Amino acid sequence: MSNLKFLLYVFKRIAYIAPILLGLLMLTFFISRVIPADPVALIAGGSASPEQIQELKRQYGFDKPLFQQFIIYVASLAKGDLGISLYSHRPVVKDLADRLPATVELSIFALLLSIIFAIPVGVICAIKRNSFLDHLMRGLTIAALAIVGFWLGIMLQLIFGYKLGLFDLGRRISISAPTAITGLYLVDSILTLNGRTFLNSLWHLCLPGAALAFPAFATLVRFTRSGLLDVINREYISYVVSMGIPKWIVIFKFAFRNAMVPVVTQIGLLIGYLLAGAVVIETVFDWPGLGIYAVESILMSDYKAILGITLVAGLSFTLSNIVVDILLAFVDPRRLEQ
Amino acid sequence: MKVSRRAFLKSLGYGSIAISAMKNKFVFAQGKKDQLVWVADQEFKTVDPHLLMDVATAGYRINLYDGLLRFQDNPPQLQPWLAEKYDVSKDQIRYTFSLRRGAKFHNGDEVTAEDVRYSMERQIALGVGAAPFFKPIIESTNVPDKYRVEFKLKYPYAPFLSCITLLNVVNSKLLKAHEASGDYGSNWLTVNNDAGSGSYQLESHEAAVGFKAKRFGAHFLGWKEQYIDKIEFRTVRETATRVMGLLKGEFDVLGGRMEPDQLEKVAKDPNITVHKDLAARIFNIRLNNQKPPLNDVHVRRAISYCFDYDGCIKDLMKNEVERNAGPIPNNMWGSSPEAKGYTYDIKRAKEELRQAKVRIDRPLEIVPLVGYPVTEQAALLLQAGLREIGIESRVNPKTWPTVISLCAKPETTPDITDYWVSMYYPDPNNWTGELYESTKGGTWNGQCWYKNPKVDDLLKKAVSVVDREQRTKYYNDVTKILIEDAVELWVFNTRNFTPISKAVGGFRFCPIGSGMECRWLYWKA
Amino acid sequence: MTTFVLIMKKFIKDRLAITGLGIILCLGLTAILAPYIATHPKDVFAVHPAESLKPPSSKHLFGTDDLGRDLFSRVVYGSRISISISFIAIVVSLAIGVPLGLIAGYYEIHLSEVLMRISDIFLAVPQIILALALAASLGPSIRNVILALSFTYWPWFTRTVYAETRSIKKAVFIEATEALGISTWRIIAYHILPNVSSSIIIRTSLGMGYTILTASVLGFLGVGAQPPTPEWGVTIANARRYLPEAWWFAMFPGLSIFIVVMGFNMLGDGLRDILDPRIRRSAR
Repeated sequence: MSNLKFLLYVFKRIAYIAPILLGLLMLTFFISRVIPADPVALIAGGSASPEQIQELKRQYGFDKPLFQQFIIYVASLAKGDLGISLYSHRPVVKDLADRLPATVELSIFALLLSIIFAIPVGVICAIKRNSFLDHLMRGLTIAALAIVGFWLGIMLQLIFGYKLGLFDLGRRISISAPTAITGLYLVDSILTLNGRTFLNSLWHLCLPGAALAFPAFATLVRFTRSGLLDVINREYISYVVSMGIPKWIVIFKFAFRNAMVPVVTQIGLLIGYLLAGAVVIETVFDWPGLGIYAVESILMSDYKAILGITLVAGLSFTLSNIVVDILLAFVDPRRLEQ
Repeated sequence: MKVSRRAFLKSLGYGSIAISAMKNKFVFAQGKKDQLVWVADQEFKTVDPHLLMDVATAGYRINLYDGLLRFQDNPPQLQPWLAEKYDVSKDQIRYTFSLRRGAKFHNGDEVTAEDVRYSMERQIALGVGAAPFFKPIIESTNVPDKYRVEFKLKYPYAPFLSCITLLNVVNSKLLKAHEASGDYGSNWLTVNNDAGSGSYQLESHEAAVGFKAKRFGAHFLGWKEQYIDKIEFRTVRETATRVMGLLKGEFDVLGGRMEPDQLEKVAKDPNITVHKDLAARIFNIRLNNQKPPLNDVHVRRAISYCFDYDGCIKDLMKNEVERNAGPIPNNMWGSSPEAKGYTYDIKRAKEELRQAKVRIDRPLEIVPLVGYPVTEQAALLLQAGLREIGIESRVNPKTWPTVISLCAKPETTPDITDYWVSMYYPDPNNWTGELYESTKGGTWNGQCWYKNPKVDDLLKKAVSVVDREQRTKYYNDVTKILIEDAVELWVFNTRNFTPISKAVGGFRFCPIGSGMECRWLYWKA
Repeated sequence: MTTFVLIMKKFIKDRLAITGLGIILCLGLTAILAPYIATHPKDVFAVHPAESLKPPSSKHLFGTDDLGRDLFSRVVYGSRISISISFIAIVVSLAIGVPLGLIAGYYEIHLSEVLMRISDIFLAVPQIILALALAASLGPSIRNVILALSFTYWPWFTRTVYAETRSIKKAVFIEATEALGISTWRIIAYHILPNVSSSIIIRTSLGMGYTILTASVLGFLGVGAQPPTPEWGVTIANARRYLPEAWWFAMFPGLSIFIVVMGFNMLGDGLRDILDPRIRRSAR
């Protein structure tokens, strides 16, 4: 019975994606089109006459009424065609595919970095509640959420890149890239057993990864701490403790798993944050990913590219939310009632 | 678990040492330099030569592709390139180019007249890049025989010889093989592909990162004993990062914009030479001549007198540019270097304002371009000057696509904008006809909305004759009228700064291509 | 009345909230008294190209920027801009989001579903991307930044209010008031609203901090406030070109953003601890 309910829940959540994304596309489409910018005139060049610009517009299909253009766009979307970028004259799908790995690698690296550091710190803070370390971490986490991503990035570049010269600036790798299999340099390096490119890419990932991970780290510390505290204070824990089982085993065997539930939720939500952060961090670190592509496309009014980016962002964000929801429903069937 | 302060500091110390060691061992173990790295501040979104014509990305066109003729050196001299010679018919409508025999494309195909014809057809059909220069003047392109191509113009057009250098010749056989739904193969060519005959051959191209190319040994011009075998044009957006890379020796040549104070830092380095070449790029403050109160010549003259030209050149641009009071760069033939132009003179500005017949009842709008700091700084300088003569103004930066679309109509075109006028072809028409001819209104170039039949007439005459002296006289007259009418403010002519590592020799600057032609470079020692 | 006193007492005891409030009050004072605090108030508009990029000194506490303007004064004036942008944006978001949330929460009709789906659409992409697209399209200006921010932040209020309203609605006393025949509007205004107000206040405080952050990111990317407006994000964007020598140019505006946002976050956190210690929600 509950299995059926679960499947229904999963189905409902996935069915949500389509109308949400459609709505998002419509929103972006009309925002980016009902505007005073004219990228066709830009690419036609300064010497182009109004007639030439009109001709170009006709070539690109911009002379049709707005709604008709939208329908055409959605129709081609169903075929997997995201249109042609105004600037590279290339299918947007290809542009996105080229730049996706860089962003994915950076985001996952930042996520892993934050998880690896945050969970132990959070556990320690929960155990040593109200100690100096706890207060320090609490202050630090609040601070971390207040730092603007790009400023942190710039400061890191300034101190570790320029002044101390420890890090290279503005690239993914300074030697030849590993043979492209996934596009993720770290993974490709492992797959091709190339130690040099692995270390080199890792070195380049450090600064932008740290800048991106810092607020995520802060959030996770906070949620690990509160999640663990929540569980520790429950009755069944005191029961188990009173049975004489050592504190450490109690924490890791009983408390940890349940405490991780809100943490997992947060990790899912962090993906959204990482997407947003990537836009800025990539701009600061000259990281050739989707972030820079998004900013440039928006500033240059490259319509199809903007829509493509919105789609990718919306899709990944929504998907990650759904995955988290499903995971949680699996772990805690009470959620199915909501 | 208590972490002692000492242990913490120790681990920090070890950490930095480890990072440095790792860095040295695995990162810079590169051996002797083989590849020239030229950094640019823009992306190379495409390597299709017919899609773009902007100055910043000239690197790929000039190295991977060839034209019929090419300009070299400064002042620009026209040299035969793929064409050995050319003939112009008496009525100046037919231009016949004779191709040299044996020039090859990178894939081994021979360059023939059919390729040239196809290239012109393709360029015009794609509608972007250099198309606006050819579409209005080319009537037809014919191929009398395998090595001769004839362009028939719609009317006599003296700048045509300068313009034809903008046509890059592509391999028609190769592109026809990759054509899909009438795109002339642009979908295939645009990223990571090569249909050229130029001195260098494309090795790899990644839109967000840049491109790499290697020397094409079979290039028709041949090679001397010294040359550079591999080149890379890499995109690095941040000026500070570019400069740091150059100083560290990671980059060999710095392209892209540079602020004067960054320049000072680079110039001090003993391993770097900074080549300073007078470009032909005028920085203008453009006035919308049709929007009141700017439709009154006295108001325009008043504005022309209230801008601190010297302050701009000395303080903002650190004296690295030259005052250019007229529309045509002073190092270009056809210019009027002795023309007086306007100076920073508040008294005269107020005098002119008094004679104005329109009332100034609203603040003027100055629109610099988002992302171009010099335009913003100049806008603020102008604002300060306007305030001195009692005119209020607002500075409202906008993105480039937005301004372009606003320039479609005189009512929506901003009062004042500022930007550079690039040289696309070295002919005085580039800075006059392209901007001030009355039919140009509605384009980016024509945002001054200047309509003067006398000037139109002079401009038309100037392009229909070939004799340079005569043309110069026409352009002098045009300049005089434009200055009198204070159509816009011509501020300075820029210098191109190219910092190059001292290990690289042979740098030859030509304003067209900004010196990015790598075939003349070589490694010293 | 006594609840209020209790809350006040708790508030004063919470160091975090007090520090946060202190920072915000300082910010407010700085913004109001900007012309008196700034050492060179005219430098918001005046340019002195001859004095560009001078390091911090007794004459220029934070040094000068690329056009020779005193950085300290510009940072001080920047506080005005940040506060006004976020304040207006939050107020507008509130004005849109809260009523929508109340309606969607109280009435269990199709409209509620539609409203929540619409807010889902807005929340489907990170706010920065949507705000970026909007601000870039409308044209870079402070007004459009405020528009873009309000347009993309209201769903947060709606969501919070919706969830709270739904849970309160289930409470017995609401059923009782309904049974008594009191009009819907009165129920919402006098019974539901006071109970959701604590979440609204918390979200407002966090929202102010978040909005200041996003506004500066937009300024940094070039689609927000424009020169010569001394907005902090724009200043940092300009400063990047002059690194690493003119480090003060980038550091001080960033530090200001940091302190101000931290203040709002502290206040919001403290309030959350006091007003409703059992809520474990997203940090935003």
